[in-house]
Amino acid sequence: MARVSPDLPLRANLSALDNIALIPLYQGHFNATESGRQALMLLEQLGHADIALLRDPDMTPAQRFATKLARALILHRPRLVIDRPGAMLYDVPYPEFIRQLADRVEHSVVWEIHDFVWNQALYTSLSSSQP
Amino acid sequence: MNFVTVSIVSLGAKLTGWFAVGYALFAFLGKAAMLLMHPGTWNRATFDVVVKQIYFTSVQILHVFLAYALVISWLIVSIILSTARDFGLSEFATEMTIRVLVLELLPFLTALFIALRSGSAINTEVALMQVNNELDALDHCKVPPMQFEFMPRLVGGVISVITLAGLAGLLALLVAYVTIYGVSHAGFEPFTLTIARIFDFQIVAGLLLKCVLFGLAVTLIPVVAGLETPKKFFMVPVSVLRGMMRVFFAIIAIEVVSLALKYI
Repeated sequence: MARVSPDLPLRANLSALDNIALIPLYQGHFNATESGRQALMLLEQLGHADIALLRDPDMTPAQRFATKLARALILHRPRLVIDRPGAMLYDVPYPEFIRQLADRVEHSVVWEIHDFVWNQALYTSLSSSQP
Repeated sequence: MNFVTVSIVSLGAKLTGWFAVGYALFAFLGKAAMLLMHPGTWNRATFDVVVKQIYFTSVQILHVFLAYALVISWLIVSIILSTARDFGLSEFATEMTIRVLVLELLPFLTALFIALRSGSAINTEVALMQVNNELDALDHCKVPPMQFEFMPRLVGGVISVITLAGLAGLLALLVAYVTIYGVSHAGFEPFTLTIARIFDFQIVAGLLLKCVLFGLAVTLIPVVAGLETPKKFFMVPVSVLRGMMRVFFAIIAIEVVSLALKYI
């Protein structure tokens, strides 16, 4: 299981690209260039290639979430759990934002969203507005 | 009687605390040593991080450090030379300069310099990583914090102290030669003979070991102090204060033991 959670922050003194590239570097044993290429490719897929060189304090909440998501996706685990997205995405309407990101990536990974029960209405309104 | 009991309990608690700190330090050092000897550790990523640490700890401040070593060396050599002449002991000035400055003072000041600059930064960074849960995040992503963050800092610190102390020593020898003999070749032979007589295998090995211990003190202690930080932001300065005090006492202890072994 790969988690995207407010309890799992980015490494503050690394850029978005370096945070994501750590995974292929240390797990896949790829070299720095190849790891960086894989990380950039994933950010491009998510539509956030422009944040590659930004560090955590300089990111918006949405950019930070996209980076954490890319870091989780590059782990290539069968299950992706997004934990309390409201705590991370307070600057965008997040069920729609997460749906847009999910549509951009491959569908072999099972996505789960764990949120507070009082936010259920946000997801209900999203599913009712979808064809 | 109550006061005696309270004092004994308090002393016992302090001793237990010191023992726990010492145990944590040596346990961490043991884990780092095991990882260092594991062949799988030394991949390109770890090597790059070690090189980066050496750059930030020593190369980046080289010009400032050498200027500081030059000034200190010139002052101490002038004082030693002047005092030796006053007491009619000029023939011992070279030996005294090497023993006081190159073997003792410069390695000690190098360790203090790196402790203040890099040790405090390492302590703060590790404490913030601990409070921010960044280490938990690295663990979740199976990026080993010991291999990625801590071991390169230990290796970088040891290499930096050895290199900077060595460079400062060479600079001090040059300053000593120029101060004693001026810019001429006349004193080259007696000067090099004195160096050869002092720097036997035992002295060189002892100096190297002392620099290694200094390097470990200025990196290992701040890392462990940072890892002990409770997950509250206001505890970060307390962690740094504790770490730096421990570094200071460790450096003093290493120097005192080194002097005792050499001269007592």
